[in-house]
Amino acid sequence: MIRSEREERRPQPVAGLQPVTGAVYPDWDAVYRDNVTWVYRLMYGKVGNQPDAEDLTAEVFMTALKPLRVSATVPEVRKYLRMTARTVLASYWGDRMGRQITTIEEDVPEVIEPESIASDAPDKVRSLLQRLPDNYRRILELRFLQAFSVREAASQMGVSVANAKVLQYRALRMAAQSGEEATS
Amino acid sequence: MSNRTVRRFVEGLLRGQRTEQARPDDFEAEQMKAAIELRAARLGSDAPREEFVTDLHRRLAAEMSDGQPAVSHSRWAPRRREVVIGGSVAAASAAAGLVVGRNLLAPTVTQQATPPTQTELHPNAGTWRPVGASVDLPEGGALAFDLGSVNGFVHRAHAKLEAVSGVCTHQGCKLWLDAPESRLRCPCHSTSFSLEGTTVTHQLPVAPPPLPKFQVREINGVIEVFAPTEPA
Repeated sequence: MIRSEREERRPQPVAGLQPVTGAVYPDWDAVYRDNVTWVYRLMYGKVGNQPDAEDLTAEVFMTALKPLRVSATVPEVRKYLRMTARTVLASYWGDRMGRQITTIEEDVPEVIEPESIASDAPDKVRSLLQRLPDNYRRILELRFLQAFSVREAASQMGVSVANAKVLQYRALRMAAQSGEEATS
Repeated sequence: MSNRTVRRFVEGLLRGQRTEQARPDDFEAEQMKAAIELRAARLGSDAPREEFVTDLHRRLAAEMSDGQPAVSHSRWAPRRREVVIGGSVAAASAAAGLVVGRNLLAPTVTQQATPPTQTELHPNAGTWRPVGASVDLPEGGALAFDLGSVNGFVHRAHAKLEAVSGVCTHQGCKLWLDAPESRLRCPCHSTSFSLEGTTVTHQLPVAPPPLPKFQVREINGVIEVFAPTEPA
């Protein structure tokens, strides 16, 4: 077993408290276990479907684990994983769409807690929906948030299926426009 | 009104399919982004599948062992059960912020092979503290106690007493006693433990470790638990 310098300088590990800020993972297995959920959530929030989110999560860990620096601290590891995720997502969109549909922001707070990384999506979506007219908001809620089929959504709203389809696409256009305005 | 690129993308998205190739313009891309955000906000849809987490772990284990010829392959390719069980130990120690100070990439076969055994709490300094009267704890019953420094549940089964911690091993929420079901339940993530402290059900990617046990005894009709001494 290779011992890091950090450990050599410490008092005997059996006694005494260990500083949490300098915490490192014992091995790759721990890195994976502790971070796989938030990496997946992050990716899912950026692509919106399970098969791609799984592939991208796998790519992040396949890419990141081997070159991971010995004795990197927990926050350093998380930041590194996030940066890897950022690159992996960028190349995914480049390949699929020839442009970036969604991105992972580079500037993250120094202390990253896995729970808080996941996403601010629900809040963002709520405020986005609130800016839409009632029937537009309703169709998007039914289709995207509540997993209704077009037919079910149409009957819920008391409109024809064709009408529901048109509503949905107009609503999405308006949501996209309003999203653009909100960010610019 | 509605263009084909966005429509195809949204239909696939709502069916949970992979994203197909397309070449959207600015506004189409903006609509796709809005669609993704909406879809991803659906409740409960963003947790990774347990099968995926386990399978990726296995692939990573194989990948990581490629550069580690010194380690015998069989030890690096544990069966599924060992992976799942061994992993929870590592996750627990990481979550607790323990610093082991080992080489990050060094193989730690021992961790993978060791199942998370139930540990007994041995405080540096402790005393026997009364938690209830023997008569209050019939055969098959359970009793909650809170001694300030620790809390937990003591139960009597087959005329033997057993006491376990009342704090969930996942993120430290306080367990409650579901007496009719003989379960200790966590209010945070629906994890449940048996009265003996073993993990019974959970919805997490990795099973939380079992609850630590307390030393418990019965003297002159009083049940006592060995608990850490309160700070002066």
